[in-house]
Amino acid sequence: MAAKSVAVKLIDVCRYFGDVKAVDRLNLEIYDGEFFSLLGPSGSGKTTCLRLIAGFEQATSGSIQLHGQEVAGVPPYERDVNTVFQDYALFPHMTVGQNVAYGLMIKNVPKAEREQRVAEMLDLVRLPGMQNRKPNQLSGGQRQRVALARALVNHPRVLLLDEPLGALDLKLRQQMQIELKAIQQKIGITFIFVTHDQEEALTMSDRLAVFNHGRIEQVGTPAEVYERPQTGFVAGFVGTSNLISGALAQQLTGSAQTFSVRPEKIRMAAPDTSIGAQQCSAAGSIRDVIYLGMHTRYLVQLDAGGDLTVVQQNLETTSMDVLSARGNRVLLLWDKSHNRPVSGEAEG
Amino acid sequence: MSSMPAAPPPTLLRRISTFFFTRPNLSLGLTLALPVLWLGIFYLGALATLLIQSFFRLDGFTGRIIRQFGLQTYQELLLPSNLDIIWRTTIMAAAVTVTCALIAFPLAYYVARYAPYRVKAILYLAVLVPLWSSYLVRVYTWKIILAQEGIISWVVNTLGLGGLLDAVLGIEGIGGPSLSFSLIGTFLVFVYIWLPYMILPINAALERVPKSLVEASADLGAPPGYTFRHVILPLAFPGVVAGSIFTFSLTLGDYIIPGVIGNSSFFIGQVVFAQQGTAGNIPLAAAFTVVPMLIMGVYLMVAKRMGAFDAL
Amino acid sequence: MKKLSFLMIVFVLLLGMVSVTVAQDGMMTEIGPGEGQVDIVAWPGYIERGETDANFDWVTSFEAETGCAVNVKTAATSDEMVALMNEGLFDLVTASGDASLRLIYGGRVQAINPDLIPSWSTVDERLQSAPWHTVDVDGDGTVEHYGTPYQWGPNVLMYNTEVFPEAPTSWSVVFEEQTLPDGESNVGRVQAYDGPIHIADAAQYLMYHNPDLGITDPYSLDRDQFNAALDLLRQQRNLVARYWHDAFVQINDFKTEGIVASGSWPFQVNLLKAEGQPIASTVPVEGATGWADTTMMHVNAPHPNCAYMWLEHSLSPKVQGDLAAWFGSVPAVPAACTGNELLTDEGCATNGFEDFEKIRFWRTPTAECGDDRGAVCVPYYEWVTSYIAVIGGR
Repeated sequence: MAAKSVAVKLIDVCRYFGDVKAVDRLNLEIYDGEFFSLLGPSGSGKTTCLRLIAGFEQATSGSIQLHGQEVAGVPPYERDVNTVFQDYALFPHMTVGQNVAYGLMIKNVPKAEREQRVAEMLDLVRLPGMQNRKPNQLSGGQRQRVALARALVNHPRVLLLDEPLGALDLKLRQQMQIELKAIQQKIGITFIFVTHDQEEALTMSDRLAVFNHGRIEQVGTPAEVYERPQTGFVAGFVGTSNLISGALAQQLTGSAQTFSVRPEKIRMAAPDTSIGAQQCSAAGSIRDVIYLGMHTRYLVQLDAGGDLTVVQQNLETTSMDVLSARGNRVLLLWDKSHNRPVSGEAEG
Repeated sequence: MSSMPAAPPPTLLRRISTFFFTRPNLSLGLTLALPVLWLGIFYLGALATLLIQSFFRLDGFTGRIIRQFGLQTYQELLLPSNLDIIWRTTIMAAAVTVTCALIAFPLAYYVARYAPYRVKAILYLAVLVPLWSSYLVRVYTWKIILAQEGIISWVVNTLGLGGLLDAVLGIEGIGGPSLSFSLIGTFLVFVYIWLPYMILPINAALERVPKSLVEASADLGAPPGYTFRHVILPLAFPGVVAGSIFTFSLTLGDYIIPGVIGNSSFFIGQVVFAQQGTAGNIPLAAAFTVVPMLIMGVYLMVAKRMGAFDAL
Repeated sequence: MKKLSFLMIVFVLLLGMVSVTVAQDGMMTEIGPGEGQVDIVAWPGYIERGETDANFDWVTSFEAETGCAVNVKTAATSDEMVALMNEGLFDLVTASGDASLRLIYGGRVQAINPDLIPSWSTVDERLQSAPWHTVDVDGDGTVEHYGTPYQWGPNVLMYNTEVFPEAPTSWSVVFEEQTLPDGESNVGRVQAYDGPIHIADAAQYLMYHNPDLGITDPYSLDRDQFNAALDLLRQQRNLVARYWHDAFVQINDFKTEGIVASGSWPFQVNLLKAEGQPIASTVPVEGATGWADTTMMHVNAPHPNCAYMWLEHSLSPKVQGDLAAWFGSVPAVPAACTGNELLTDEGCATNGFEDFEKIRFWRTPTAECGDDRGAVCVPYYEWVTSYIAVIGGR
């Protein structure tokens, strides 16, 4: 990531609605050409952050810079960013072609060039020749692509996407995830992508920021955020984690420092298995079994108190096997290196 | 447990319900019978009778209606004094409509876009409450407000703007000795009375324009004026057209307001009233009634051609 | 709008092309029990039940005596009255002379039987067989009475006494542009009646000031006379900002619109005076038009017995005197002129009892001039259209 120029920079940005701190002291740098996700539950401030960058909201305090330029007080129509809206916001009284050409019309791009660029863009989003359709004649996925084309045709330096895949069904969403990523890589501009779906953020992003209660909990690559969650919230929101604190932590690690460990890192072994030097261990009995096809999730009640979630791949076991495991005594083992000290509380 | 209690025999009401439920066409037919009869007999029937009457004529000598088809009544309709009335009414209706639209749009826009919930409720109430009180009372109240010694002149004179009011009232053709004796007064009262009928449809249309469309337009580089012209106005236009149909046709047909306020010049509604009233020149009254219908027909065609209904 | 020609009607009847239905055949010979109500179209102020002033009530006692509830629908112009009677839902109408013949020849009203009205003999002899309600419609040589005379009076010139310290002597204050005694122009400060019958007032003015036109009867105008009257009215259009139509609106106009002179009825004059307004009235030198109203019965009156009872009641000296005092009119029954508390013994003279011969009563203009000119007069039909045009600025 070295030597990359900064596309968007937020310095101590706050946005209050009355007493509600929608966004509270955000500091963030997003680089040129990056696919950057703003991840968080609803109400966490990620959409407000996007709207601050787009210019639909004005920051209560702090500074927002686009390519080094301060944009406080600059209206949306003078910012070199474009947005793909959650509801697509296609103009219902215009054709697809007119929708895509809208930004070019405003800039007085000559008709021939305009038509050419619209056609290119519709090709890019795989809707060739759809210029004369009306938005209400399109499917949800097609509208999504038109919205994308309409934003991209202006060659913005930053594209903002506000939960653009939220309204699509699972299959279409997965397909669009791949296409979006491909388009981003092809044209090489910065994508800032708002989502509440951690899997989507992990799959698509170069880097991501995890939002909670108007603040950023952690910024990093998907692997960093997943592997080394810095807070209990991140550990819980991004993937699932076992969060261990207090006496149990003391017993397992020798320190009361809260730590997290991913369920898939824990091995479930027979009670008499020997424990390695670099391993943590905890004995308990299987309280619940959830069969998930590819893998099985076990809830293990520890003798020392508390529960741990363990995920095991169904390599050789069948559903009959795993479901009969309920009540079995087990020994849980994992490498100490998988313990991630975190701050704060877990989500929920 | 013994056996389940037997289902009670269906009541008469239930049997009737079932009878109709299983015969949807019969149900539909019965449901529509009354409105269709109403529409057919009282509405279309009356319209047809009216049209037919307008082709009869009054014998100027005996004062009796001659029931023979002809165009004499329409010839009479085209007399200069009658054309004056038609023009006066049409221009008034157009001016009232445009003014209502200009006043209603910003208000409707504010209510739809910006007004907080509580303010919105108050404003809706403010628009609707006048409609609950008697139309006549409001018109006569305006006569008092607009009188030479009424509240408007008093306020204007107190502010030292009496000269301005006199200048406005001095305008040839629409002025007069006081607001209530001038076409300006007629115009003001028309605008007041019909304004709610413009605000409500425009507001309804604007409420249906998602905020994200406005943001999308700005996002794509459109300054507010461009957004207004290319997004908000086209999408709200059916509302404006709906409102203008109300204000335009209501003004075309009204005979109370110009009878109370104005310079006594006749409007179409008054002539219709006078012609059918004065011993029944029903043919000319009918011909006069056809005029607003034609004007509205042309109006709707123009509106359609301008794409007013495309966004429906 | 009716072009009324007595001869023409007879002619048409003879040809058998159109049958004029009048209810002579159905004329009642006795009065049965009351139907419980009677519906009357009347001028405002003509039928009072004490709602404006408790002293003026000639309905309540009638209702108590006969059990006939009285429903009144007021009409502001003769044309409205004709229109309402055309609807056919009313029993009686207090029709002025410009409406009565239209109603008779239009077959809207029925001949009444004077034998059923004991007070008939007390009616002013000048009115008993007045031409506006006594007609031989069917041409059988005997005339029928189409109603009972109710009240009559002049159309006075009402004026503001602060502007006119002395009564104006001529109708010119409402016809010709001039500087009024208070030093200001009369433009926009005078009014005229918005019924087509007002053309007769103009004709009467010309009759005095322009004798060359040869007008002898303001209701029988040939083409030239009619056009001259219209010219005068066009001139008047520049003075009149708004024509009056509704008596109560005119009262308001004198109070809040700076109107200082207008042709009017004694009714408005009395109400304004009663309010202490500086208002008086006069009959200028040109004379005055006037009205003589007849209570007429609809040809299909739904409540004929109650209607007959009202006709009788309407002729009682008490009603006649009270009404004359209230409306500023002259009773149709001379007996009412003496001994009425409200009217006082001078009332009849004040309201113009002796002026009968000077007043040119409203009458529906017909093509038949009624004199040796023949059928060259402008019929009422054209009066309507022309007056609308004049008010419209043509």
